[in-house]
Amino acid sequence: MLKYIGLRLIHSLFVLFGLSILIFFIARIMPGDPARVALGPLATEEQVQKLREEMHLDKPFPVQYYFWLRSVLHGDLGKSLYTKRPIIKDLNEYLPATLELVFTSFLISLVFGQVSGVLSGYFKNTWFDGLSRLVAYIGVATPSFAVAIFLLLIFSHILGFIPAVGRISIIMKPPPRVTGFLILDGMIAGQFKVALNGLKHIILPAFSLAVAHIAQEGRVTRSSIVDNMQKDYVAAHIVHGIPTKSVIFKYLLKPSLIPTVSIMGLDFAFIIANAFLVELVFMWPGFARYAVTVMLNKDLNAIVAVVLIIGAVFAVVNLIVDIVVSFLDPRIRLQRRGG
Amino acid sequence: MRTQVPLLEIKNLHVQFKVFEGVLKVLNGVNIVIREKEKVGLVGETGCGKTTTIKSVLRILPSPQAKITGGQIFYRGRDILTMQPREIPGLRRGELSAIFQDPLASLNPVFTVGQQLGDILKHSMKHQGVKGISKKEIRSKAADLLRETGMPDPERILKTYPVQLSGGMRQRVCISEALRATVKLLLADEPTTNLDVTIQDQILRRLDDLVEERGTSILLISHSLGIVRDLTERVYIMYAGTIVETTRTRRLFENPLHPYTKALLKTIPKLTGKGLSEGIRGRIPNYLNPPQGCRFHPRCDSAMNICRKENPPGFSAGNDHVAACWLFRG
Repeated sequence: MLKYIGLRLIHSLFVLFGLSILIFFIARIMPGDPARVALGPLATEEQVQKLREEMHLDKPFPVQYYFWLRSVLHGDLGKSLYTKRPIIKDLNEYLPATLELVFTSFLISLVFGQVSGVLSGYFKNTWFDGLSRLVAYIGVATPSFAVAIFLLLIFSHILGFIPAVGRISIIMKPPPRVTGFLILDGMIAGQFKVALNGLKHIILPAFSLAVAHIAQEGRVTRSSIVDNMQKDYVAAHIVHGIPTKSVIFKYLLKPSLIPTVSIMGLDFAFIIANAFLVELVFMWPGFARYAVTVMLNKDLNAIVAVVLIIGAVFAVVNLIVDIVVSFLDPRIRLQRRGG
Repeated sequence: MRTQVPLLEIKNLHVQFKVFEGVLKVLNGVNIVIREKEKVGLVGETGCGKTTTIKSVLRILPSPQAKITGGQIFYRGRDILTMQPREIPGLRRGELSAIFQDPLASLNPVFTVGQQLGDILKHSMKHQGVKGISKKEIRSKAADLLRETGMPDPERILKTYPVQLSGGMRQRVCISEALRATVKLLLADEPTTNLDVTIQDQILRRLDDLVEERGTSILLISHSLGIVRDLTERVYIMYAGTIVETTRTRRLFENPLHPYTKALLKTIPKLTGKGLSEGIRGRIPNYLNPPQGCRFHPRCDSAMNICRKENPPGFSAGNDHVAACWLFRG
């Protein structure tokens, strides 16, 4: 297993390397002069030229890439032209907020998706199954930012018991930073009021991100439950006197989770992409908004850094997914051991 | 004849399946009696309703497609079909058990043999009122059960997954799951159909020994008359959802009465004969529109007028020998 994880990590490094080359050049082919955008229309031609030289923009692409890679290997992702700060600092500030949001919504979609999937699989073709199918279609078809606005209207504007924007109320002091996840940090520091406040803030954006995935994962789980329920082994478990609850939530759920977990890795990328819009609606001070801003500003170093980080997160999440799948499915594990 | 209450008595069982095309009238009045410590065979072509019969007894017919439309199934005098749903698991954990056709399909692919077998044992022991059984005890009990079926190295097998085992070993695992100490009636649905002939023989002998040792009753379902001749005392011949003949196994081979049984016996390939044995002309009827009267009449050489109109009841030919055929109206 360890050997497999090691190999996968090395594999991911190669992918990230390829990705960095690709995005590095794409960012530079895009029309517009980054130095001019950064300095504004009032700067003189000499000033712009000077910045270009500083950023090695006057040199050929491969040379630029060489300079960039050298500093990245030294742990320096460069400076952002937009925030005028080292990109590492920006990431440090914005990334945890987005990861917190994305993971929360991942968790929500996991729990709700599985529960609704198992129930509608077990109660196939009943009113519950029909209702969950209808909700699923609506959920998949509605863009997450529309869900976000809808939830915002109901819970914050009309009912008014959930705060509309931000990560935490302005009057609250954020807890000392340990993980960068506000709710977690609040609990670590023992400031449960802060943690609760953070939870209230995150619930709407996380849920609007999760809706489509709850629907999709629920449907996948349902169909594999329905599929597996007709398998002889389920009949055998029942005949041999294993209690129904244990048959459903142990013997039926484990094999049925395999396809769902596999698509969850891919879903993770969609959640990050959708977070761009949802963060905008909820004014979430996160990485996705930062990413959009730097792209619109042709902030070269920041664009490359953003894409790489998302790529790295995606690679790690999918590695985790593959490990989980191989724990669920001994057939995969045994195959691997066999070569 | 023994007069005590039989262990299992299926009376006039009717089962229908609803499918897209209409209603399949699969079981059309099945009568089977199994007494204590008795070894009974149930023989018939593929699709004649053997599996549906035992699924009805076990109450695992697919719902809502399948429906029991008539009859009773008495276990020790109590009708399984009218029992409270919460009483059924107790029966399954205690005296009633089954082995299915495909050993790979009847084992859960993502749990080890030990996890599955252990869980079954745990619930069965709990049902007997044994309390506070340790995991270790369950494991050693599971290993003992495997050893009894002739499984080599049972401790190691407990840690493996079904895909790692050969077909014969899988079926040994299934037999261990089914043959707990408390089981009084074992329904074995073609337990060796998917195995090599040599393994088939080994496993059947082992199964037979175990059943004998424990005094378990067995209903052995098979489409092979050879297996049934070797291992059972009494036999039921089934055709298209009805029992057409029943008698002592030896008597059936010496003196078959029903035309279907006779035809079936002719299909056994003989080592000394030339070429292949004769088949039975025609095919098993369509259950959507089964033939009027006796369901076998379109394939029967001795069909009479009455056969096309009325379904024959069982006519006794003495000595526990019953044939459902108008030829024996007497």
